[in-house]
Amino acid sequence: MANVSESLPEKAGHGEHAHAHPSFLQHHFDTPAQQFNASKLGMWIFIATEILMFGGLFCAYAIWRGLEPDIFDQSHHFLNKIMGATNTVVLLFSSLTAALAVRSSQLGKRDQTSIYLVITILCAVVFLVVKYFEYAHKFHLGLLPGHCFGHPYFSAAIQNGHEVGTCLRIHSDEMPGSPLWVRAIDESGHEQLLPPRANMFFAIYFVMTGLHAVHVVIGMSILTWVLVKNTRGRFSKEYFTPVDLGALYWHLVDLVWIYLFPLLYLVGKPD
Amino acid sequence: MAAVDIPAIGGHEADAHGDGNAPYLTAKRGIMSWVYTVDHKRIGLMYLMMVSIAFLAGGTFALLVRLELFSRGKTIVDAETYNRFFTLHGAIMVFLFIIPSVPAALGNFFLPIMIGAKDVAFPRLNMLSFYLYCIGVVILLASIIGGSVDTGWTFYTPYSVQTANSVISMTFGVFVLGFSSILTGLNFLVTVHTLRAPGVSWTRLPLFVWGMYATALMQVLATPVLAITLLLLGAERFFGIGIFDPKLGGDPVLFQHFFWFYSHPAVYIMIVPGMAINSELIATFSRRSIFGYFAVAMSSIGLAILGFLVWGHHMFVAGMSEFSTMLFSALTMLVAIPSGVKMFNWTATLYKGSIVWASPMLYAMSFIFLFSIGGLTGLFLGTLSVDVHLTDTYFVVAHFHYVMMGGTVMAFLGGLLYWWPKMTGKMHDELKAKIGFVFVFIGFNLTFMSQFIMGSRGMPRRYYDYLPQFEPFHRASTIGSWILAVGLFTTGYTLLEALWKGKRAPRNPWGSAGYEWMTETPVPLANFRQTPVITRGPYDYHLATPEELATGWDEISEKPAAKKTSQATKKD
Amino acid sequence: MNESNAPATYQLPEQMSTVSGDIDWLYYFIYWTSVVLFVAIVGAMIYWAIKYRERPGHKPTPTGHNMPLEIAWTVAPIFILVFLFHKGFQGYMDLAVAPANSIEIRVNAKQWSWEFVYPNGGSSPELHVPEGKPVKLVLTSADVLHSFFVPALRVKRDVVPGMFTTVWFQTTHVGHDDIACAEYCGGRSTGANGELPYEPSDDPRNPYPAGQATGHWAMHGMMFSETEEDYAKFLKSIGDKCDQFATTGKPCPADIAAEQGQKIYSNKGCLACHTTTGVPGVGPSWKGIWGKEEATNVGKVKIDENYIRESILDPQAKIVTGFGPVMPTFRGQISDQELNEVIAYIESLK
Ligand code: HEA
Ligand code: HEA
Ligand code: HEC
Ligand code: CUA
Ligand SMILES: [Cu+2]
Repeated sequence: MANVSESLPEKAGHGEHAHAHPSFLQHHFDTPAQQFNASKLGMWIFIATEILMFGGLFCAYAIWRGLEPDIFDQSHHFLNKIMGATNTVVLLFSSLTAALAVRSSQLGKRDQTSIYLVITILCAVVFLVVKYFEYAHKFHLGLLPGHCFGHPYFSAAIQNGHEVGTCLRIHSDEMPGSPLWVRAIDESGHEQLLPPRANMFFAIYFVMTGLHAVHVVIGMSILTWVLVKNTRGRFSKEYFTPVDLGALYWHLVDLVWIYLFPLLYLVGKPD
Repeated sequence: MAAVDIPAIGGHEADAHGDGNAPYLTAKRGIMSWVYTVDHKRIGLMYLMMVSIAFLAGGTFALLVRLELFSRGKTIVDAETYNRFFTLHGAIMVFLFIIPSVPAALGNFFLPIMIGAKDVAFPRLNMLSFYLYCIGVVILLASIIGGSVDTGWTFYTPYSVQTANSVISMTFGVFVLGFSSILTGLNFLVTVHTLRAPGVSWTRLPLFVWGMYATALMQVLATPVLAITLLLLGAERFFGIGIFDPKLGGDPVLFQHFFWFYSHPAVYIMIVPGMAINSELIATFSRRSIFGYFAVAMSSIGLAILGFLVWGHHMFVAGMSEFSTMLFSALTMLVAIPSGVKMFNWTATLYKGSIVWASPMLYAMSFIFLFSIGGLTGLFLGTLSVDVHLTDTYFVVAHFHYVMMGGTVMAFLGGLLYWWPKMTGKMHDELKAKIGFVFVFIGFNLTFMSQFIMGSRGMPRRYYDYLPQFEPFHRASTIGSWILAVGLFTTGYTLLEALWKGKRAPRNPWGSAGYEWMTETPVPLANFRQTPVITRGPYDYHLATPEELATGWDEISEKPAAKKTSQATKKD
Repeated sequence: MNESNAPATYQLPEQMSTVSGDIDWLYYFIYWTSVVLFVAIVGAMIYWAIKYRERPGHKPTPTGHNMPLEIAWTVAPIFILVFLFHKGFQGYMDLAVAPANSIEIRVNAKQWSWEFVYPNGGSSPELHVPEGKPVKLVLTSADVLHSFFVPALRVKRDVVPGMFTTVWFQTTHVGHDDIACAEYCGGRSTGANGELPYEPSDDPRNPYPAGQATGHWAMHGMMFSETEEDYAKFLKSIGDKCDQFATTGKPCPADIAAEQGQKIYSNKGCLACHTTTGVPGVGPSWKGIWGKEEATNVGKVKIDENYIRESILDPQAKIVTGFGPVMPTFRGQISDQELNEVIAYIESLK
């Protein structure tokens, strides 16, 4: 980013009178370059914390996958690879448009920036819509996380001789494992009987993709805010930090998905 | 930079932010000027108020815990209430008090001043983090209304999945507090990287700032994992996702890994700021640069890194594999080295110094005294076969009170007394402060020394009731806690009394060479009348002129000829 | 009051297992190392703080550098630390690997009681082991985390639901010590509908009276290290008397069954919540309930075999009015024969 900061106007000396400060420069910074660097560093650190947060989930994923390779293999056939791949392409494309938005903002092309931002946000919407259909299908099959797994309210769960009334914790006789098995047709048309512990896979699936979806929503809100400011003409060649940081955040959202997709949808059991 | 060439009075804040040279306390008035403030000093003070209240609340629960244990059977409350008391005591002390205490209160106030900045890098984020803290406090304490939590501050599954529902409220509170902590850390990291005044090179960074920097690193890197842990715990309670619940095929030990992956670094988030304050106190009151400045600075970073590798030492008997147990024990040993480096360097600093027995120095010396006990008993716990006997007994309780209360809280109190004049503009009564100290020191040792003995004799922790052979020790401990409370109340009173009775504080009452003393008392809104250009280290007593120590920097530059040229040499 | 429990030294309890000696040696090694370091650091601090105190005419000397010194105190502790780690790990491995010829005793922990199941199938809430023989405990928990701790043996191990952990030891002489639960597992001290006087007793074998103290701290048990004969006698006493009737196909006579039921009452931890005196504890007292009409959350029920069976296997199905749904299920932990014996016992309390 060094070239960016150098392209900024010559530093206004520290302690200069206020009128010497550009309007976007906050009082405790000396130069726009300093302010830009601070914001950028701040965003990078924030992204690091986000990655660590997802890192915890990736660890949980790795541990469970190691413990239950078969169940993970069996369950992952229930994820729709086409939809997953579509979403991957959509997100990758949106990252491109986000980057282009930054570029055009750097060049001072305000309208172009807005267009790119709008495309990015639309991609996010498409992503969420696809996600909605995926989730809805899982709910329908009763592939829910945790003790709701195989909940008969939605699904064709075999009750295994046990009465299941409402979606409450199921007290099982012998530990571990709740007594519900789920029979359903997976994405490649095979009928599968999923053991109760398959709830682990779906728990991880829902927690990881759910948290990711929350991040998509946050990213959308940030980009929308940037878009509004952009149309109001707050940014210029000299000052485009929010566009840059918004896009950076969006890349993170994309990046996480790039890992989620293969790990959840694609990886089966090595034969 | 052109810093010194401009007129001192009427800095550039004049139009937008009021007079940058007005004292920060009176520059603006009225409640709203506090509610909406983005000034790091005011935010620091508000944090200080909140953490003091939290300390009082946590301390009250501690006294109740001790009172209940005064004799066997029921003394004041029943067992369920007792379990809630120690959970609240632990959770309040850890999450509401000690983690935010030094960084958010004193750090917020002094970190920017000590690097010659006007504010932290993101003042509004700073305000957000304060309000997140407040929201977190409210949510956490709301759990008391919802029936309270009785899991212990560690929230171990599966108990925490089964017991009362207010666990959700408490963990969610902690989750929000975690965000507050992350934002503070992020702010500090960026501030230190980008806002240092001319001349404040990394090798001239005050050790307090180094400590804050290391702490911020840990806050930023460890807290997200706590967030995800608590999120999973919440999901576990709502949906029973089963990751931690053996009934659904989950693994309760996994929760412990997650928890300690945050909470061990957290103990260094607690102690490193304490050590940071201690370095300042030792230097000032020995009138001498810290021995081995570089080693002391780097040992903070060392602790920050090593702190991430040893979490498993809380789980030696929890059912880990022998291999991991071995690894964690070996790594645990390593953390003793940076701590040792600090202890040795502080002690060496006293040698041939000129030691002032002021009240903050008493706390600094008692830090060395108590932290070496606390730290060395950490070695008992890090040694595998000995830990098997000692884990989950009062030995552990005594260990962590010696490091947290004897370490961080002592440093915090020392730091408060030390910086009180700069913050409030008032001097406290030294005699009362010293009397308070004596009570604190004696009371503390009585309270927790007896716990070491019970612990090694086999008294488990989190016990409402105990076997007859432990009664004398519990009695001594309870009596100690009263003496301790008297000392703390005296100290608290001394500080408050200074506000209305105290004499007006001079600019540099302790004769320190630290940068923060080179500005006026109380501090101007923009921290310095003009951005200082720094030409000496914060502990260079042999370079600081007596004039500088007495009158600081702004007035020097107002008298043009005297110092100006020599200070302005470092233009860039 | 509990002679054999008197501390062996001021800091540590009596040594009763083969590993205690090594562990205590290491404890005291760290202790004295710490004392030396502490005295050196704090001593130097106080001495210099007094010697170089601020006074008129005294000037501080600017700090210099002393690289060798700094390296020395960074490196020297490493030797101590490596030694500690090594010794500690050695001791830990001694605790980890049980000899092949160990007597295996299964331990079921639950909120809030211990049950020890011996090789002959009998069980007891107290742990009896033969002196000088290696014993291996296989621990598991029915609900939450617990931790098996005997101070005099210097052993401790968490009991984790859903998995088995093990602990082994070999006692060195005849004696006894307390068993404690060292991992917090919740608990309370009063009955469901209110206050019960809580008076700890001075009886070392039962310091927390049944029916009142239920909780983590009340998971108190006793460990007896006894001679071979005493151990054999003990095994016999817990052996299942009704077995002989079962093998001949005859029903177990009511009085013998009730007697067995009483054992189950104390061994399986029912006594933690139920009294036989008429005073309610955490759960209803068993005295005189047989045949009674009991008010529950699903209406009145008559207390008979089936209801008792259900109360034990599925306690949450019907909750007696005035009590909380806290009774754990004993499904999988209690055999049909044992159920009958409990029923016989409750019947005998008419
Ligand atoms: C401020 C907080 C703080 C700090 C700084 C420390 C510091 C250390 N702690 Fe502590 N610890 C806690 C807070 C802290 N701890 C808490 C809260 C718990 C319990 C949590 C719970 O379960 O509720 C705990 C529990 C705990 C355990 C688990 C006990 C158990 O449950 O079984 C262990 C085990 O290894 C341990 C070890 C250590 C070690 C080795 C250090 C080291 O960093 C200490 C290093 C310092 C020194 C060694 C002294 C100074 C050095 C010298 C004088 C130099 C010479 C030294 C040598 C030659 C070795 N701690
Ligand atoms: C920062 C951390 C901290 C601090 C300072 C303390 C302080 C004290 N603690 Fe605490 N303690 C913990 C952290 C802390 N504790 C934790 C984490 C646990 C484990 C909980 C668990 O098991 O889950 C624990 C557990 C614990 C137990 C074990 C309970 C059990 O296992 O059953 C006991 C028992 O004696 C105890 C006692 C005390 C006492 C007497 C104090 C005293 O030092 C308190 C003295 C304080 C006061 C009396 C308040 C006075 C304050 C003012 C007057 C305000 C003035 C303001 C200023 C000067 C700014 N604590
Ligand atoms: C944790 C405490 C606890 C333990 C241990 C416990 N119970 Fe209970 N028990 C209760 C409570 C509370 C009730 C009343 C609420 C209910 O019906 O579930 C109860 C009710 C009962 C009842 C019905 C009594 C009535 O008056 O209707 C029976 C029978 C019973 N328990 C048997 C047992 C047996 C047998 C054991 C041991 C093998 C045992 N309990 C262990 C707490 C406990
Ligand atoms: Cu069982 Cu504590
Ligand atoms: Cu630790």
